[in-house]
Amino acid sequence: MAVTDAISQPTDPTTPRLTIAVRDLDVTYRVYEQPVLNARELATRGFRSRVSTSVEAIRSVTLDFWAGEAVGLVGSNGSGKSTLLRTIAGLQPKSGGHVFVTSQPQFLGVAAALKPRVSGYRNVYLGGLAIGLDKDEVTDRMDEVVEFSGLGDSMARPLNTYSSGMRARLAFSIATLRTPEILLLDEALAVGDRAFRERSIAKINEIRRDANTILLVSHNLNEIRQTCNRAVWLNQGVVERLGEVDEVLDAYEAWSDSKGR
Amino acid sequence: MLDVHVPPGNVAYFRSLWERRDYMVYSAASELRSRQMTSVLGNLWHLLNPLLQIGVYFVIFGVVLDVNRGDNYFAFLSVGIFVFGFTQRSTIAGAASITNNKGLLNAFSFPRALLPVTSTLTEAMATIAPVIVIYVVALASGETPSLQWLLLVPLLLVQLVFNFGAALTAARATSSVRDISQLLPFIFRLLLYASGVLFDVDKYADGKGYAWIFELNPIYCIVSLSRWTVLGGEFRLDLLAIFLGWTVALSAFGLVWFRAGEGGYGRD
Repeated sequence: MAVTDAISQPTDPTTPRLTIAVRDLDVTYRVYEQPVLNARELATRGFRSRVSTSVEAIRSVTLDFWAGEAVGLVGSNGSGKSTLLRTIAGLQPKSGGHVFVTSQPQFLGVAAALKPRVSGYRNVYLGGLAIGLDKDEVTDRMDEVVEFSGLGDSMARPLNTYSSGMRARLAFSIATLRTPEILLLDEALAVGDRAFRERSIAKINEIRRDANTILLVSHNLNEIRQTCNRAVWLNQGVVERLGEVDEVLDAYEAWSDSKGR
Repeated sequence: MLDVHVPPGNVAYFRSLWERRDYMVYSAASELRSRQMTSVLGNLWHLLNPLLQIGVYFVIFGVVLDVNRGDNYFAFLSVGIFVFGFTQRSTIAGAASITNNKGLLNAFSFPRALLPVTSTLTEAMATIAPVIVIYVVALASGETPSLQWLLLVPLLLVQLVFNFGAALTAARATSSVRDISQLLPFIFRLLLYASGVLFDVDKYADGKGYAWIFELNPIYCIVSLSRWTVLGGEFRLDLLAIFLGWTVALSAFGLVWFRAGEGGYGRD
């Protein structure tokens, strides 16, 4: 990856370290009304007449995230939260601007299905090895994963017998096997039960204390209050508000209440 | 800092793949184990499958149709079917590697080439045992073993590199246009006949205007070269050069083209 001088790190060790720098980021989707490329459609209407609209999901967003902080991303459906997170992970192409990171972020999506026909244990190996651990490391930490995910005997069953909450618990346990420097969670805890949510909140706080950065997309504002120090409120692809978690969430709640009425 | 949207250089990319070698081994081993778990004869099928294929083609082409064949049709067929099947299975597995692992792709960040590379290695591991079939058939049908037989091994290693390229290309192609996975079996059926797997192309095409079509076909080249190691005959340096050329071109193209789609795999 290209090393850039565009973002300079502070040399003073007491100032926090910048881990993610989003600069003037634009993300534009092209959405086709008929998303499937279908021969009959093409023959009768041709390529040109396929109705498409471009959606500006993210519009010139500039944000800084620091080591040791957890930041919640809030906003109504379609405000661009998930798109922003995927773009920071490098999974979504950008149309303008830059995203700089200190290391490749670990992204965890909604209720990840992993390998459906394979047992929980094998999934821990496959997932853990795919994110770059070696086999002994996974073996050593298997007990920890079983305990943390609370899956117990279900670990021997194939994943297609799991509920979405169980899958989410397993995926979160795998993604945190190696403490990532940058962890991006897209509603990854939403379907877990209460006991798991408490454990994962404790885990997030622990990761944060180890001077790592966590970005959390969630519709559960309590989850954000319990884990995050800052919050970003996105509205139609633009940063509406950015600041201390309570201040931003209060403003967001007031706004959505007024809209709901 | 790193720009996440500037892809890492090839060296860094290969390094991140190499760091995940445990994944390749674990995934390949568990895939091979589960593939045979439900059948009574289990892993014996890795040996029985090529033997049965050789038997079927021998009866139809060798006995019923009595094609114009060389001296040792049994050994001729066994090399052809084995070498052809190696590339065929690797390509089809590579094409399926993205769609089969949608869950992993959506859940975690890792270099995406890990999936087609692993599927190719899985097929290579499944192919190690049947190599013995070639030697057994050759011995049983009266060939005299020689050191030349061992040259098959480096040829297969070159073919493995060719298969990586084919798998990467097929993976990208099927993930952009799903219909290609429907076409692949027909492409390989055509290649089966165009590569002289079942009959000696030279006996039909020699001196005809279209012989060059066979010689430019990489699978014809590797099939012929592999036959030379076991059955002897004239060594064709031109076929080796053509196959090496294809291997370099296809693996370079596959890598570049696959990586150009890195961000989009696993999404619809």
